[in-house]
Amino acid sequence: MSNIVRSRLADGVVFNTVRDSRFKTMEIEASIILPLSAESAPVNALLAFVLSRTCREYPTHRLLCKKLSGLYGAELSASVAKAGDRHIIGLCARGIDDRYALDGESIAEQLSLLLCRVIFDPNITDGGFPDDETEQSRRQLLDLIDSEFNEKRTYAISKMIGIMCADETFGVKRYGTAEQVKAVTSAQLYEAWQSMLKTAEFQIMYVGDSAPDKAVSVFAKAFESVGRAPVSVSTQVIRQADGVKRVTEEMELSQSKLVMGFRAGTALPEDVTAVRLMCAVLGGTANSKLFCNVREKQSLCYYCAARYDKYKGLVLIDSGVEADNAERLEAGIMKEIEDMQNGNITDFELEATKLAVINAYYSSNDTTSGINAWYSSQMFDGAMRSIDEMAAKVNAVTKEEVVEAAKRLSLDTVYLLTGR
Amino acid sequence: MKRAVNITEIKSARTADSYYKIDHPSGLTVFVYPKEGYKSSYAIIGTRYGSVNTCFSLDGGEKITVPDGIAHYLEHKLFESEDGDAFARYAETGASANAYTSFEKTCYLFSCTDRFDDSLQILLDFVQSPYFTAETVAKEQGIIGQEIKMYDDSPDWRVMFNMLESMYHNHPVKIDIAGTVESIAEITAEKLYDCYNTFYNLNNMVLCAAGNVTVEQVTAICDKMLKPCEKHTIESFFEDEPYEIVKPYVEQSFPVSVPIFNLGFKERADRPLNERELAQTDILLEMIGSSTSELYQQMMDDGLINSSFTFELFEGPGYRAVIFGGESRAPRQAAEAIKQYISRLKSEGLDREDFETAKKAVYGDVISSLNSVSSIANMVSGFWFNGNDIAAYTDAVAEADFDGVQKRLADMLDVGNCTLSVVKNGEEQHGV
Repeated sequence: MSNIVRSRLADGVVFNTVRDSRFKTMEIEASIILPLSAESAPVNALLAFVLSRTCREYPTHRLLCKKLSGLYGAELSASVAKAGDRHIIGLCARGIDDRYALDGESIAEQLSLLLCRVIFDPNITDGGFPDDETEQSRRQLLDLIDSEFNEKRTYAISKMIGIMCADETFGVKRYGTAEQVKAVTSAQLYEAWQSMLKTAEFQIMYVGDSAPDKAVSVFAKAFESVGRAPVSVSTQVIRQADGVKRVTEEMELSQSKLVMGFRAGTALPEDVTAVRLMCAVLGGTANSKLFCNVREKQSLCYYCAARYDKYKGLVLIDSGVEADNAERLEAGIMKEIEDMQNGNITDFELEATKLAVINAYYSSNDTTSGINAWYSSQMFDGAMRSIDEMAAKVNAVTKEEVVEAAKRLSLDTVYLLTGR
Repeated sequence: MKRAVNITEIKSARTADSYYKIDHPSGLTVFVYPKEGYKSSYAIIGTRYGSVNTCFSLDGGEKITVPDGIAHYLEHKLFESEDGDAFARYAETGASANAYTSFEKTCYLFSCTDRFDDSLQILLDFVQSPYFTAETVAKEQGIIGQEIKMYDDSPDWRVMFNMLESMYHNHPVKIDIAGTVESIAEITAEKLYDCYNTFYNLNNMVLCAAGNVTVEQVTAICDKMLKPCEKHTIESFFEDEPYEIVKPYVEQSFPVSVPIFNLGFKERADRPLNERELAQTDILLEMIGSSTSELYQQMMDDGLINSSFTFELFEGPGYRAVIFGGESRAPRQAAEAIKQYISRLKSEGLDREDFETAKKAVYGDVISSLNSVSSIANMVSGFWFNGNDIAAYTDAVAEADFDGVQKRLADMLDVGNCTLSVVKNGEEQHGV
């Protein structure tokens, strides 16, 4: 496993370095962690896209794109995500490693500096971001919000979470609503940027061959002039569902989408290894109970998957089905869960799932993005574990612990998007 | 018994990688692309057989016509053998397995970080062991039926097939890869065997292993597992396809909140492009459609496209097109802007600085894709299907010259021969 070196640059700012000579690419990503709230979500989301478009040195988006293309098609991208009640803005630069440049320039260094510039030295005029770039980002963000509706599987999952967590912070959408995004003012955006530099937690992750010394010193220097007062965020976890909410929506579709939301009873910072494994046995692999029984034996669907959100402590199961078969499908899913709760898990099922999970862990070590994701996904785990350590934890989980994890599942919400 | 094996090493100075091509005596072409320091491995075996091969003959025998979607159906059913399915066998090795069918090929693959030899044996075994019965074939109808319906609800999928239907008069590329619920109802075990026995001949197939593997390891397993195949003449029949498109515009009403469009330029497709032509085309398309192009920036400024905008070269046996697409609130204007820009480039010529920038970007893309074992194996085998080689392509990109790209533009992207496909909400715009 490639080792991670973590150094603290300022209060709540960590620079993580993984040096690895095996790859033809490098990447550096700043994860900027803020509290999620209905008021700030649209502002921070818009800010993420505005920051990624320009900086003082490359004041228009086209100039920035040209710079990136000239660096062998390097990318600078923004992402917005939720991790429990945390809102995470990701700004990531990726490019080829210096060794493969045709004319011997240092791409890693230039990209690291560029990332620092878009965060600290944006194109500010008259106390704000340039209007045309802001409007361009706003339009893109509004399209992103709207286009969620285009893909019905994503739409159905998002709908279910909205219903399940309607009264919780987690129910806030990562981009906010279209109306909110339309209402964000230039002053709010500027204020959010200033506040982000002071209060957000920063995790910077560098994966590449050459030493990021220059980047470390540039980031460290940039933070010196900021009066840091980082805010820490915790997530509200509801352990037990209080009755089952049911919502059905009709639409002009060939296939119906069923999404079931469960409270898992376990979330970070507790040990989540057994719940994760339980979820994989249930519906995480091509040998899972849902795949083998609901799909293969009963031919009810093409996909039926279970996933676990360790931050919020939710398990989500989703599938696409013939409208007339939706009830049968739900009953079939519940039967597999009850089976697990009754201890019906074979040694083969457990061992095969462990192998598959561990195989996926080790595979992630063979790409720069996989290494980045491996460590980034542990930002709130309390410790950054290597794959060997995590594999040992998975192997130590007993069948009884998996059964116990299954027993803690309680059904909270059933959402059905039904075809007409 | 050790059989004579012909091994060629292919070295690329630019990528600092070496890989090996093996002409295995069984008839199979094998590539091995070792990656030092990697723990994971990936293997993919593919046959030159996809959804378009619905009418064919073997050794000049009678023409056989099979139902639409059968190649994909076969892919699902090949995982099953008399004593259980391949997924259960992979479960013991921990490998993650999958398969896919496209227009021109069917591929089976796995990735693993341990017990590669065992997983490769499973792969080579089940791909050579068809087992189709009336019962197993019937069981798949419900599963694939739901897969088809899932795609019916995908606006990206619909917009592409509507475009292909409006572009091709006869070529089966216009038919959905999985067929229809009606066409797959006609599939029988016997028809599956007809297809299998024709196309799953090792001479028509390629294997590529990448990552934590050696040539010796892969050849040893091939020697043990592969049953030599006689070389046959496989012929696929396609009706004559006119150069002209069917119609310039097609629209479907669909529950979407942002309309989606595909603008496809139909190209002549008498033979696949070679590495040099491919490199030139990729650089040209980068110059036209990437985020640095004037066209892209203008369409963004005018609110005609958003960051979902894409472009691709789409080619296979008997078809080739260039497709621009994405979400747009004004698809007709976006299409018009693209056509005008191409016309302007054709009359005024390309810009040299844009060419240099685009060339670097395309070069960076190739280098980046030679990182992960999955993309390496898919690229190496993918190039083989068109008779090309990845190392030669990489060199062709690095050595591409301005005049060559300029000339390519003159030979393609006929603005009088393109189709615009749009999927949009028939009623009011949907708010979410």
